Amino acid sequence: MGWKALHRWLGLIAGCLAVVLGLTGALLATDPVLQATQAPSSGAASSVAELAERVQRAMPGVEEIRRLPSGAIVAFGFEDDQPQAFYVDPRDGRMLTVYQPSPLPRWAKKLHRSLLLGDAGRWGSAGTALAMAVISVSGLVLLVRRMGGWRQLAGPVRGTGPQRLHVLVGRVALPVLCLSSVTALYMSATTLELVTLEAGPEPDVTSVADGQPDLPASQLPLLRDTRVEDLLKLNLPHATDPEDVWTVSTRQGQGWIDRYSGETLAWQDAPPAQRLYDWAVVLHTGESAWPWAVILGLAGASVPLFWITGLLIWWQARRAAVRIANNSPPAQADTLIFVASEGGSTWGFARTLHDALAQNGHRVHTAGLEHFRTAAATRRVLILAATHGEGQAPTHARHALERIAHETRKVPIAVLGFGDRQFPAFCGFARKLEQALREAGWPQLLPLECIHQQSSQQFALWGEALGKALGEPLALNHVPHLPPTTTLTLIARRDYPGFADRPATILRFRWPRTSWRDRLRGRGIPRFAAGDLVGIVPPGTSVPRFYSLASGSEDGFLEICVRRMPGGLCSTYLHGLKPGDTIEAFIRPNPGFTLHGTKRPVILIGAGTGVAPLAGFIRRNDARTPMHLYFGGRDPARDFYFDTDIRRWLEERRLTSLHTAFSRVPDGGGYVQDALRRDAPQLRELLAHGAIVRVCGSRPMAQGVAAALDEILAPLHLSVQQLKAKGRYAEDLF
Amino acid sequence: MSRILTTVATACALAVPAVAHSRPVTMNVQLKDYDGDGAYLAVYLTDAQGAYVRTLWVAGGKAKYYKHLSDWNRLSARDTERLAGVTGASVGAGRTLKVTADLADALIDAGYELRVDAAVEDMRDSPSDVRVPLTRQEAGKPHSGKRYVQSLTFEIE
Repeated sequence: MGWKALHRWLGLIAGCLAVVLGLTGALLATDPVLQATQAPSSGAASSVAELAERVQRAMPGVEEIRRLPSGAIVAFGFEDDQPQAFYVDPRDGRMLTVYQPSPLPRWAKKLHRSLLLGDAGRWGSAGTALAMAVISVSGLVLLVRRMGGWRQLAGPVRGTGPQRLHVLVGRVALPVLCLSSVTALYMSATTLELVTLEAGPEPDVTSVADGQPDLPASQLPLLRDTRVEDLLKLNLPHATDPEDVWTVSTRQGQGWIDRYSGETLAWQDAPPAQRLYDWAVVLHTGESAWPWAVILGLAGASVPLFWITGLLIWWQARRAAVRIANNSPPAQADTLIFVASEGGSTWGFARTLHDALAQNGHRVHTAGLEHFRTAAATRRVLILAATHGEGQAPTHARHALERIAHETRKVPIAVLGFGDRQFPAFCGFARKLEQALREAGWPQLLPLECIHQQSSQQFALWGEALGKALGEPLALNHVPHLPPTTTLTLIARRDYPGFADRPATILRFRWPRTSWRDRLRGRGIPRFAAGDLVGIVPPGTSVPRFYSLASGSEDGFLEICVRRMPGGLCSTYLHGLKPGDTIEAFIRPNPGFTLHGTKRPVILIGAGTGVAPLAGFIRRNDARTPMHLYFGGRDPARDFYFDTDIRRWLEERRLTSLHTAFSRVPDGGGYVQDALRRDAPQLRELLAHGAIVRVCGSRPMAQGVAAALDEILAPLHLSVQQLKAKGRYAEDLF
Repeated sequence: MSRILTTVATACALAVPAVAHSRPVTMNVQLKDYDGDGAYLAVYLTDAQGAYVRTLWVAGGKAKYYKHLSDWNRLSARDTERLAGVTGASVGAGRTLKVTADLADALIDAGYELRVDAAVEDMRDSPSDVRVPLTRQEAGKPHSGKRYVQSLTFEIE
């Protein structure tokens, strides 16, 4: 079992108990704080001898003096057969207020330590603490892995809402929770008597009466040598028992003193196990250190948050996952299918392929490419590979090439790539795989084929070719798996003439608020932010087109900017909509691109309709974070999208500065990268001070922008690549 | 409502050399209705000089807390058999512990004392919460304790 599975299953199962322990722990953590506020400020007394004598003077019936973890001194005694307990002033032994033990309900502590189930419950709590420790450690491993190493641990966090919350809070609370659970384990071990704290049997000592009166406390050497700060408890000899002794407990150990001679009759050092226990108690409960108790309390209160966000993350992953039915064990399968896919859409194709082969009587095993391995029973291997970014492997399969290189049992193999021809690195990773396999001498089952835009027809053709190679008919009828869609109603549109037959329009749809119940069942449109994507399925097709959102759910509407492409099915459909018309749509989060309440200055660079998500960022810039927009168009009269809004946002100071470049008008300023170069000193200044960058537009435009910014960054010894690695630079390209 | 839970404990072993004549002694230790968890109790016997003779009953199962029954723990430290067959659960506030022990005739009316140490978690220890001479004269009378023990009553058959 990997770290991830360990973390997930322990978290889901032990999580509910951990929530109980976390919440009761947070409640119990208030005790040291209350004690610290209630305890009268304690003045100094140099030695325990001095303290005892002062208290005895003020309270003749005193039997026991304790120094509480808060530092306050409490004296216990009897007056007229009634037990008494008072805070005392160590400066003069004066009785102050009545001492009340913890005001917290007793069940809180019992629930925390034993789940109200006695000894069995103590084992349950200890088990939960152990689970918590393992969850913390596995969480740290996953955190380091996710952030890309120890050095990036404090870097920006990407992901969906629950993921971000889980990681952001986890980064802070993890060490505290880990310490809490480890100390809890030690404390449990002592309670369950797996570790013994005893120094040995107590000495059998008595005071030997020799006709002398009691020595006063001030003349007892052991008490004179004991500092008040080290005192835990002092028991005074009982008036009616002539053989009774003084007993003093300190951090260092325990001593017994003859009441007549003042001699130290015995001394036992606290064993190391006891000292360790004392430390564990301080670290676990925060007693004697109330600021630490506050931190512990907050960490305890964060446990439900981890559990709930963890559940949501697991639930979302489960919903998104494509499940493969009757997956044969890898050692028995004749056909192995390996999948490399960042978003998960390729898994749908894998399932269709798996089912069709299984239908033909094959034993098929499908797994992620990171599990690449052949067995004696393996007759053929099929790899379905999508590409991530600029031709890289999807994250989960980043070590796949090394794994493949180590495999010695070589069987016929075919690679099927997935991608989009618009991208220069079309099927880049699939090509790399194919090349590596050819060079390593794997027999070719089928030549490399690349599927464009998840085309079902192309996939079916490849299936025919595969069937021929296998000598059997193979029909691959792939129906793309789409998330459930919601009906959106157009409420307004604003048209821009654009150029030639490519007009653009800004469409605004009403956001139907989704009830909590529907949201939990995964229905309706979830919360979204500017920069997320809306998937629109034109009638009569099954392939969605994605548009960047120029609004967030806080705005109460969904807004997109669409340019009509000649022959473009979806853009033509959208341009034909009138207010009141409806579309079917769903949201796809784009967590790497959206802005999350950053306080750093933001540089927004967009060309054409690419300005849409940037406009969304500015619209919701209620905090007035410095935002600088670089907009590239052709003609301010024809394609300056959001022009009136942008001017208003400038006045409202939502936008700090606007820089435009129009390529088709005289003195228009050229392209957007020219505007960047003109403004190089200011940009360099902003970037030197940690500004973050968002670029949206076409791919050639993005390359031009990156080249211009690299020139600007060079004197700072920085590059766009470095900013990307730090999460400061993100692109949304089409 | 009666809040009496009766724990019957029969301790048959004798610490003193076998004596032909012994009789059962029944002790009822009733606790006060204090606000706290169940009490650890040690019921034991000391001689005229205050030296430990025998443990009659220990209520409370965790050895790590026995040091809080401090008089008993100190006095009985050398008795390796002190827990043999005489331990049970801790006793809740307001409840009664009933202990029966066979005691030699020689122990009665001979200066011996019954003692009870009590301790409650997170509260003060109460060594020798109650001390009663083991005499026929004191039998049948309730003897009040210092802190947790409401009364100790014993009967000699």
